[in-house]
Parts: sequence; C-alpha cells; structure tokens
Amino acid sequence: MSKVRFSSKRLLLTLMLCACSVILLQNYDISEKSSFVFDILCMLFGLAICFVLFIPSVIIKMRTNLDFLTVARTVTPKLKIPLAVLYSLYFVYAAEFFLLPYTDMFSKKYYSDVTPCLIALILLSACVYAALKGVNVITRFGIFLFVFALITNLLMFGGSIGTLDFELYGFEVTGSVNDFIKNTVYFIIPAFIVTLFACLSGKTKNFKLRQPLFALIVTGLKYGLIMFFIWFSLGDYASKQEYQTFILARAARIGFFGGIESLYLALATMSVFMIISLVLCAVTKSAGKESDIKYVIIFAVILFAAHMCGSYLNSVKEIFTNNYIFAVFTVITAAVIPMMYVFAGRKSSARKTLHSINMS
Amino acid sequence: MRARLCIVLICLSAVMLSGCQSSRKIETAQIIENVTISERNGQTLYTFYILSSADTPLKTEIPAGSFEQACELAQNQYIPNISLSKLELLMIEEHLIDRVLKTDIEYISTQPSFSPSAFVALCDSKTIDKFSESTREQDLIEEQLILLKKNNPDVSINYLSVFNHFESEKTNEFRVGTLSFDGELKISGKKVIKS
Amino acid sequence: MNNSLSEILSDLKADFSDSADLTIRNLTLKSERQIKAAIVTIEGLCDKEQLSQSVINPLLPYDFKSMKGQEAADKILSSVMASSDVVVIYTKKEIISFITSGFAVIIVDGAQQMFAVGVQGYSFRGVNEPESEVVQRGSREGFSEPLRVNMSLIRRRMKNPDLVFEQMTVGRESKTQLMLCYLKSRVSPKLLGKLKKRLNSCNLDSVLASGYLSEYLEDERSSRLFSGVGISERPDTVCGKLTEGRIAVIVDGTPAVLIVPRLFVEEFQGVDDYSNRTYYAAFIRLTKYLSFFTALFLPGLYVALAQFHPEYFPTGILIKTSESLAQTPLPVTLETLAITFVYEIMKEAGLRIPKSLGHAVGIVGALVIGESAVNAGIISSSTLMVVATAAICSYVTSPLYPPVTMLRFIFIIIGGLCGLWGIVIATAVMIISMCSKTSLGVPYMSSLAPFSLRTMRDVFVRADWKSLSKHIIKVQRFKETEV
Repeated sequence: MSKVRFSSKRLLLTLMLCACSVILLQNYDISEKSSFVFDILCMLFGLAICFVLFIPSVIIKMRTNLDFLTVARTVTPKLKIPLAVLYSLYFVYAAEFFLLPYTDMFSKKYYSDVTPCLIALILLSACVYAALKGVNVITRFGIFLFVFALITNLLMFGGSIGTLDFELYGFEVTGSVNDFIKNTVYFIIPAFIVTLFACLSGKTKNFKLRQPLFALIVTGLKYGLIMFFIWFSLGDYASKQEYQTFILARAARIGFFGGIESLYLALATMSVFMIISLVLCAVTKSAGKESDIKYVIIFAVILFAAHMCGSYLNSVKEIFTNNYIFAVFTVITAAVIPMMYVFAGRKSSARKTLHSINMS
Repeated sequence: MRARLCIVLICLSAVMLSGCQSSRKIETAQIIENVTISERNGQTLYTFYILSSADTPLKTEIPAGSFEQACELAQNQYIPNISLSKLELLMIEEHLIDRVLKTDIEYISTQPSFSPSAFVALCDSKTIDKFSESTREQDLIEEQLILLKKNNPDVSINYLSVFNHFESEKTNEFRVGTLSFDGELKISGKKVIKS
Repeated sequence: MNNSLSEILSDLKADFSDSADLTIRNLTLKSERQIKAAIVTIEGLCDKEQLSQSVINPLLPYDFKSMKGQEAADKILSSVMASSDVVVIYTKKEIISFITSGFAVIIVDGAQQMFAVGVQGYSFRGVNEPESEVVQRGSREGFSEPLRVNMSLIRRRMKNPDLVFEQMTVGRESKTQLMLCYLKSRVSPKLLGKLKKRLNSCNLDSVLASGYLSEYLEDERSSRLFSGVGISERPDTVCGKLTEGRIAVIVDGTPAVLIVPRLFVEEFQGVDDYSNRTYYAAFIRLTKYLSFFTALFLPGLYVALAQFHPEYFPTGILIKTSESLAQTPLPVTLETLAITFVYEIMKEAGLRIPKSLGHAVGIVGALVIGESAVNAGIISSSTLMVVATAAICSYVTSPLYPPVTMLRFIFIIIGGLCGLWGIVIATAVMIISMCSKTSLGVPYMSSLAPFSLRTMRDVFVRADWKSLSKHIIKVQRFKETEV
C-alpha cells in the first residue's frame, strides 16, 4: 500500500462520485406527491445541511492536516475503543445501505434469475482487493469512473430529451411538511461522504474549502438533472416501477440505439464497488488497522453476513435501508462527534500532541 | 498460494451457483418484435411476432383475456424462451380499445422488461391481416408513425407517451396513431377519450 | 596477484579446464634478459589480423635492451602498442572478463600490470531495421547483439558528455555485461540507486537475454500482468526516453534494450507520432486506444450479449448472429474460446516455422480451417469475425499483446458465466490493479491516474513540438512518485 500523500482534490472527486451514486439507487425515496420544484428546494436544503456537516471535519483537516480518527485517538486515547466500535458500526451500516438496494435492483430489474447474495459475495471479493490497495489507488480508479459517469450521464440525458413533455407536467410548487421532511432526509444521505472524508483525509494534501463545496454543487446538479428528466421525461410512468433512474436509462434512446441501461448498471456497479471499497478502508482505519488483510476480510465477512440477513429477513432489510436511521447516524458520525474534537483540539496540550504527530 | 486458491474456488462456486447458468441464449431465445391485439370469434387474440429473417412473419396466436394472461400462456405453452425486451410495436385493433387498452397498458407499465419507447398504434382488422403477410410492413409502419409524429407533435406514438396521457389528470382525451388499410396503408391521429 | 607468467597461464588453463578455444601465444621479447610474454585470446572472438598489426608486429621487433619485466611492460604501453583501445588490468578476474569479451590480454613475465587490447573481431549481425518496431519516417537503424555497437548507436545520437554508460555484470555463471545508460543531468540519483540495487540482487546463473532481467526490475507487490519495464530495439526511441530521465539497460548479446520506468500511456506512443502532422498523430493515437479496447473487450462483450442480453444487439445483427449460432454445435462461450485458442496456436506456428512456409500456414488457417469450418457449420461466421477483429486489433499495440491476450480469455470466460455484470466487475478489478502498479516507484498509470494536465499533451493527442518543448518531462517529477 502506497504511503505517499495524494491530492485532496482527487479524494473529493471520488467522494463526489459516491454522493452522486445515491440517486442511482433511488427507489421511492422522494415523495410522489410533491412537485418537481418542491423536490429541488428540498434538495438544495438537504445539500446545504450536508455542507454544514462538512464544517467540523474541514476545521480538523485545516487545523491539523490529519484525519479525524487520528486526532480523536491522540486527544482522547481512552475513548479509542468506543469510537472504533461506533464508526465500525456506522460503516457496516453504510455499506449495507448501498449494497442491499443494489443487489435488489439488479435482481429485479436486470437479471431476475440471479441470486442476490452471490452477487454480493463476488462484489465484496472485488472490494476486498480494492481496499487492500488503499484509498490512494481507489481515488485513482475514481478518475476513470468520473469519465465513465460523464459519458453515461450524457447519453442518458441526451437520449431522454426527445421524450420531454412540459404540457402534462408543470413547474408548480406543491408539497406538504411531511413531504419536505421525507425529501430533505433523503437529500441528507450524501452526507455519508463527510464521514468518509473525516476518516480518510489524513493522507491528502493541498486541501481547500472550495473542494467539498464544489463536490456538493456537482452532486446537486446531477440530482437536479436526474429529477428533471424523471419528472418531465418519464412522468407518471416513473412511479409505476421501482428504481426510477434505471427506467430513465431504459427509456433513453439515441436514434434507434437503446440499451443505455447497461451503461447505467455498469455505473451503479462501479459506484457501489467504490463506495464499499472506501468503506472497507475507513472501517479498518477506524479499527486502527488500515488496509490490513486480516481486518479487511473480517469486515467483508461481516458485511456479507449482514447482507444475507438483510436479503432474507425483511425487518432487517427495512432497518438497513431506512433513510431516517442512516441520516441520524450520519449526522452523529460526520458532525456531532468531530465537533466535540474541534473544541477539544483547541486545548494547548492537545495542540502540541497533534503538532508533533503532524511533524512526524 | 493457498489463499489464492481459496479465492478462486469461492469465486468459481459463486459464479456457478449465482443463477447465471440459466441464461437467455441468443440461439434459443425467441425474441418478440411485434404484438398485435385483434378479435376473432368474439375472443381477443394476441399475436406474437418472433424476430426472424424469413419474409413471412413467424407468429404465434394466443387467445387470452388480457396481455398478462397471454404472456403467461406464451411462456408456459407456446413460446418457452420468450423475450419481450425488444418489443418494438404494439398494434391494437381499434374497436378493442375500451376492452384492452387500459388494462394492458397498466400491466406493461409494471414490467421492467418492456421498453417504454416501443411504438403503440391503433389499426383496423385489414391492417392486421396485411401485417401478418410480410415482415416489411413493420418497418413501413414504424416509418409512418415517426413521420406522423413529426407532422403532428401532439400525437402519442410510443408507449411512454400513451401511458402518461392515460394517467394524467390534466387531459380527458389525447391522440394516438391510427392505421388503416384500404388498398394502401393510411395513417392518421385519432382522438382517444378517457372513460 | 602473482606476477609470474607461468603461474598466471597455468591458473588460466585450470580455470578454463584447458578449453579448446583458449588460445595462448607465447613470445620471447627481443631483449638481453629474454623476457617472456604471452598473448591470451579466445578463439573466434578477436580479429587475428588486427591483433597481428596492432600488437604482435610492433612487439616482436622492438628491442627492449636490458629492461626488466616491469620496465618492458611500461614501455609496451607507452611506445610499442599501436592500438588505441588498451585497458590496464591487474587481476585474473579481469583477464577472464576481457578475453571473454573479445580482447587480447598481454601478460609480461614479472610485470605487475597486464594489458587488455581491444581487437574484437567476432562475427555479428549488422545494424538492421528492427522488425518489431518498423517506422514510416525515421531511422532504419536498430540495435544489434554486441554491447559496444549498441552503445555507439546511442552515443552517435546523443553527442553530450551528460550521457553516461555504467558497466555492471550479472549472472553468476554467464558473467553477462550490461550497461546502464542515462543522462546524468536528467536522471534521479535515487531512481538510479534503486535500479542498481535491484540488478545487484539478481542471483541468476546465466543472463542470456535482457528479458531475464525485466522481472527483477519490476516493483515488489506490484501487479505483473502489465509490464513496468519497456523494451525497445530502436536507438532513437531509447534516446528519447533518456531525455525524460529514464534509464536504459543494455544487455550484451541482446538487441532489445530495457527502459525503466515504463508507463501505460507509452504503449500507445510511436516514433512516427513525432514525425507526422499533429492531427494525424492524434488520430493514430486514438485509433490505438480504440484498438486496445476492442482487442480487450470485444470477444467478452460479444459472448456476454449473446449469452445473456441478446436484445442489445441491433435487430439486423441479432437475426444474423442468432441464425448463425443456432447452426453450430458448441455454445457461444466455448466456441469463442476455442476459436481464440486455435488462433493463438496458428500465430505461434506462424512465428516458429520458416518464413517460406508462413504463407502456407496463413492459407491453411484462413481458408481451410476458417472458411471450411464456417461452411460446415462447426463455427459461426459472426464469432469468427469477432475473434479475428480482436486479434488484428491486438497487434496495433504489440507491446501489450501478452496482457491483452490473457485478459481477453478471462473476459470471455467471465462474460460467458456472469454476463455484462461480470465484465464490469472484472474491469473494475483490472483498473484497480493497473492503478496500484508502479514502475520503479513511478505510478504506472501516470498522466491519467494520477492525472496531470501538463503531460496529457502527449497522451491521447500529441501537441505540436513548440508546446511540447516548453516543458521538460522528467519521470521522477510525475505525481506521487516514490523514490
């Protein structure tokens, strides 16, 4: 595993792709009763919260040039184990949050004969390999994924322009408080990248505040475009089937050429692959054994076991894919705990220790 | 080395057990290109046209109460390796519109294998007869529908548009492409009034 | 070392086990003391005429008067020998090293030093155009087997005192000479040190070709599928690489020179790119990338689509392909694998048999096996076309042929077992593996990942020379290089 420091810009690009992938697995998470403009407002509000959640980890990064977990271990060595447990739990939950809908979508929409658990097993095996190579390598992979995502999105949107219909669906603002809460919670989910940033940013250099801001703006643009096309191109048809973004890709056609859903599926697969690989890196880091083969495999086995439970027990699946639980968990791990260390880190003794680590 | 062997074995067993072996092979798959819905002896007849290079269309006629039932019958009895993902044209005999259009369109909307961009058109019985004579007719009809849409943007020619007009609360009526055959093929837009 | 001539000669004979090609010409120098001397050579490695003219002819008539052995040796070096290529040596190890390289060693009884005279004259292949790197415009010279000839080919192109050749010996038994070649002002000393350390760690008995060393030059724990060591038979290519801070390893007896570090994007750069117009060079580069992807993915994608997603074929192709495949006995995966395998056999046969029979193999392969098998319904024409297209494309980037061939087989198997999804996962793993690879500490995928806009001017397109010459590229300056 490479020990060299890499560009913070690249980490944020990778995290942006992870955040963008949330909407690829969108399945009735946005209220059906609310209008397009209302959804956009919710999205802006949700992403603004995401940016606020970025602040504590950004302060830690700018102040110490270290990641949050290293800072926490240094400032409060006694809390090492509780923190490791909490973050490990969070990352396992986050991995399942993406893995379960992905395998579900795959078996329902793309290839119904397949066994979801075995798809998860193969995917996890690939993720273990990537996690062993480290965050730096995964972010390099992110560059290729970015180009692929760009091409796929261009084809998806370009192929849907022909079916846009502004007569049936308008720009009115309709929606209730419940819709607002539901939608906003959904749009807070991309904040999981904040936790990943907090845990993985230790090896990056040249961090600038505009990087997370830019990542969230691009994420917002992508969400906005997908929602726009789902609303105006698919219309009511979108609500008849699960995984609306898949249907958008299925309906897109460039001339006589269709089949863009294959590219969409490849993008979703690679995005989930990247998220889980990063999560495996983060979870082993939170356990204090970054990219250690033994720990990576142990956590992969835990993820697989959790996936098995989620696949066969509906109640478990509901817990694992609950937006509200995930959002609350994210807020705690991304902002609340790091914020405590922002204040703790101001003490002169803590500052000295952190400075000495940074220098070494 | 042992670890690598274990990984290879896990991957192989996963692949073997994943269900991938029950694939739709190209040489055995019976890919449906068109479906016509007509009436014979008071019963609704679903005709599935299988993709082939023959000049005379390869078709299977299935009498059924609905499209859902026809698909089930096709899969279980008539066309075991049926694949509907390349469906390009759905033609419905005009007078069956009230009987089948809404229910069948509702059913199709829930099926992921159907492409929402498939063409949908109404027609008379003579067009269906003509259609079953030669495969060239299908391309001709598709071209006509595209031309119709170009000249009359308000006509719905694909499934996605037809479905959305059905579901929309904003309109009570909409226009779909209608084909008729009286010596030569004619195409026009016909108003459909939602019941 | 003992300076008694008889002892040195008997030691040498013992070392060579009285080998028939060890030639010792005993002389008695014209002097009052009747000084004994000997000229040691290896039969067939030196030019006898040159030896006579530059050593024996001036030596025998020269009158050394009352000089002792040591004084005579000094005189020989300063006044007698007519050769310009003389190296003073002192040890038996050096004697062996020089005589096996074609030098003649003069030993004077009682003298401390000995002289190795460059009279190499063994027969070797001339400087020909390399067959594997043919260019339209540019030099037709390619490396040959002798180390010195190859050094001269580089030196002729780099008339710069910065160019350094550093000699090393590898192979416990073969004692193969090699030269590290670099530009002192451009190379990173750390990179050079790292390379030397790796070459010194090479514990092979014999190094008979440069390829033996390439595995020792690869980074540890780095994927071995793609090679992190470049190979070139062209002196102009090597000179170009040296200016970027790379190091060339010239191995005696091999016309292929190793170049490290090697990056992925270099596989798509050709000598002609820099002679052609920029727009055409860019077109060729993009064609190469397209060919690489076609060679890698086409058969796998074809199998995956035919096996799992036939609906993604355009209607016309779908009808033809399904009808063609329906008539063949093997499933599409096995059929594609079989044809690819047969193609590899035919390629190997074509390479090994005499050139005069090569056409016959081509005709048998293309007409008899290919066409007959299609006509007989054993294989489908569409599969044959896909495999043939991929095979042709794989030659566009010939240095990548080995990994592309292996990956093609893997993608065919995965495509047949898991469909497009399997190919996506395999591609992700492949990219991760490539991104983690380093060549002497430089990331293999440099320019792309880590991304560098400055070096991108010579990746997918080639910028014009004016803008290329604005910035000097040095490999050690690539982002995230660990040296």
